[in-house]
Amino acid sequence: MTPLANRRELAWGAGILLSLAALALLPLATRRDDVLNFVFLILLSITLAESWNMLAGYVGQVNLGHAAFFGLGALVARTLWSLGTPIFLAMLAGAAAAAVFALPIGAAAFRLRGAYFAVGTLALGEILRTTVANVLPEISTLPTADIGTYRLSHRYYLALALASLSVVMAGLLGASRAGLGMRAIREDEDAAEASGVGALWLKLFALVLSTGLAGLAGGLFAFYHISYYPSHAFSPTWTFDALLMTFIGGVGTVHGPVLGAVVYVTLKEYLAVRWVDFHLVIFGGIFITIVLLLPGGLVQAGARVRRLFHRS
Amino acid sequence: MSALAQQIVLGILIGGLYGLAAAGLSLVFGVLKVLNVAHGELIMLGGYAAFWAVALLGMDPFGSLVLVVPLSLLTGVVLYGALFGFVVRANEETREKNSLLIGFGLALVLHALAVRLWTADERSIVTPYGGAVITVAGLSVPVVRLLSLVIAFAVIGGLQLLLTHWRWGKAIRATAEDWQAALLTGIDVRRAYLLAFAMGTGLAGTAGVLVSVGYSVSPSIGLEWTLKALIVVVLAGLGSMIGTFVGGILLGVAEALSAAAFGGPYREVVGLVIFVVVLCARPRGLFGR
Amino acid sequence: MQALEASYGDVRVLSAVTLSVAAGEIVALVGGNGAGKSTLLKSIAGLLPPRAGAIRWEGEDLARVGAHQIVERGLAMVPEGRRLFAGMTVQEHLDLGAFTPRARAVRPASLERVHALFPFLHERRRHVVRSLSGGQQQMVAIGRALMSNPRLLMLDEPSLGIAPRLVRTILTALAEINRAGVAVLLVEQNVQAALTLAHRAYVLESGRITAEGPSAALLSDAHVRRAYLGPLATRA
Repeated sequence: MTPLANRRELAWGAGILLSLAALALLPLATRRDDVLNFVFLILLSITLAESWNMLAGYVGQVNLGHAAFFGLGALVARTLWSLGTPIFLAMLAGAAAAAVFALPIGAAAFRLRGAYFAVGTLALGEILRTTVANVLPEISTLPTADIGTYRLSHRYYLALALASLSVVMAGLLGASRAGLGMRAIREDEDAAEASGVGALWLKLFALVLSTGLAGLAGGLFAFYHISYYPSHAFSPTWTFDALLMTFIGGVGTVHGPVLGAVVYVTLKEYLAVRWVDFHLVIFGGIFITIVLLLPGGLVQAGARVRRLFHRS
Repeated sequence: MSALAQQIVLGILIGGLYGLAAAGLSLVFGVLKVLNVAHGELIMLGGYAAFWAVALLGMDPFGSLVLVVPLSLLTGVVLYGALFGFVVRANEETREKNSLLIGFGLALVLHALAVRLWTADERSIVTPYGGAVITVAGLSVPVVRLLSLVIAFAVIGGLQLLLTHWRWGKAIRATAEDWQAALLTGIDVRRAYLLAFAMGTGLAGTAGVLVSVGYSVSPSIGLEWTLKALIVVVLAGLGSMIGTFVGGILLGVAEALSAAAFGGPYREVVGLVIFVVVLCARPRGLFGR
Repeated sequence: MQALEASYGDVRVLSAVTLSVAAGEIVALVGGNGAGKSTLLKSIAGLLPPRAGAIRWEGEDLARVGAHQIVERGLAMVPEGRRLFAGMTVQEHLDLGAFTPRARAVRPASLERVHALFPFLHERRRHVVRSLSGGQQQMVAIGRALMSNPRLLMLDEPSLGIAPRLVRTILTALAEINRAGVAVLLVEQNVQAALTLAHRAYVLESGRITAEGPSAALLSDAHVRRAYLGPLATRA
């Protein structure tokens, strides 16, 4: 178990933050909406993947209902914003709603062993999606006045800020004592508990961070789209995307989800034109290969290649 | 009142298929300790196999079982050999998590392939006898669905017999209880795993055929049926195929009652809510050991 | 002549252990808790791969052979704690015991033998083993192992957690099994009982053999008496 605060991870983290800072200049360099939209999607995906990674990578719990918190954040933020709340506050409220909702779920669900926790959260996500789809079936559209004043660059900078925040949070958490305890739980929960780690509190802490961040991402989603179906934000696709990105990049690291997000969104957009959803066949295959052969993801692959070169 | 009774009848009819779907999942989970979340996708594939057997080969959908069941068993062997056979080598905790992830990846791949190959449209099998209905005490019972229920029950019964009287059926049960003791008894546990997984896939394929003939099939039924099977497994626990079948029927009835009480859209929700509640209260299920 | 020879080296638990069992013998392996007796038996049975050394049986090295194949070769183990199939009946256990082709060939005769040894197995054949007492379960476990038609029967702590009266029954049965031609390798913490039953014994302490020889000799050995048989001895 290498501590997160080793130089390689810090170097990666710094590199990512620098790249994000550089991306701040993008709206000044180009006026093309499709480029900004593309990068926006990457930034949103980074946030989503980092948020999922906090529970899966650090504590080791696979949450298949992550979309529920994304959707809740979107729902609360959208509702408050359309009632006049400034978007920042609305998004924070969305994050808070998601985190508060997560607490009782965590308290109940964390007694379940791995597979049961995963399918339990999956069921919860579906319950929420079905309920929202029935209660709010109409499309949610911004009032015309707001459409007129829609500025993509605002959304872009917010996404940039959120992505940076998620990377910093992940880094700080990993380097902290809490993060160390979480990793101990991931390796062997019983042993960790026996050595006084206080497993439940740490798991809840990770859950709150994970779902709060997901809620923020959801709020961003609600801010970004002019019109969308509220239940779409609860679709399990968001969970699956986060899972794929995190694992393919490298679960449990800070830079893994970032790498995974970039690769995933890029390939998906490239394939989307001609082969809708075919990206899932490819990524599903890569994912399975990674689980079987390369559990550390592409990040680990990079380390292995490096070792190969050092030896020769 | 008779509208409610009608709904309950329909709930029982589909409940039998829920039980059949769950039986395959339960077998694999009980023996290999692997929760195959791609199980619903395997059901979906069985449904498409039946659909194409009817459309391209002109077979009778029930007759297509003759083709689909062996195909499903073979698919199970391939999937075990290529994927799940590798995860069973690890200890129980790693095995559980890795198999969950692999099942997830498999489900994504199968779902996306189905969308690519056959589009997202719903398909139904049309037969000359498809609309036939038996009327019993003022309630109409669609013949096709009734036949499906009977077949499902027969398959479960056959499975139970296999597990109790077939040498390898007993070996499978022993492996599920204690794989090390099974090894010491001379049982090749890897082969027991392979058999159980193949049988589980065969059960899924069978369920798929019955689903597509009585209802419809589309790529999206995968997740839906995985959840149904999970709900029933958690309700009924592991270890009894008959118990699983009954659990399926209970779920069907519960859905019918909730649709009557809260309206159609909430039919799905009640099963999921029961699932979550039972999971938290009794992870071993109602019937299970 | 069948003979089992195990030389075993595993840095963690056992080091350089050599023991042998000849046809028709009852050999006991005794020693305190954590001495490594179970580990040795499990590696012979194929549940644990040995780090070094060989397990020679009828001219073959079993070290790399899979556990279920070892049963086919004629070695059967009754594991510690019985390890029965909780939901299955007594009869199902006996049926499963004769799983290998070698055992299936003589199943009716084996069944008769087992029923003669432990009549209660016939009386309670439809009972689910979960409902049986510890001693009864032990008889099922031994019966299950016997059904595989072994030439060597290995038992890991058969008297653990069993009422003394039933322990005597089991030991008597083991003597009879041996008289019928099955060699027995017995791991036991009840040193008195083990040495009374066995022809030869080894004493295992902290992963090493510290004494070996005919059991009569060991019973009168001063160190053995002091450590395991005297009034101040610690016995589980």
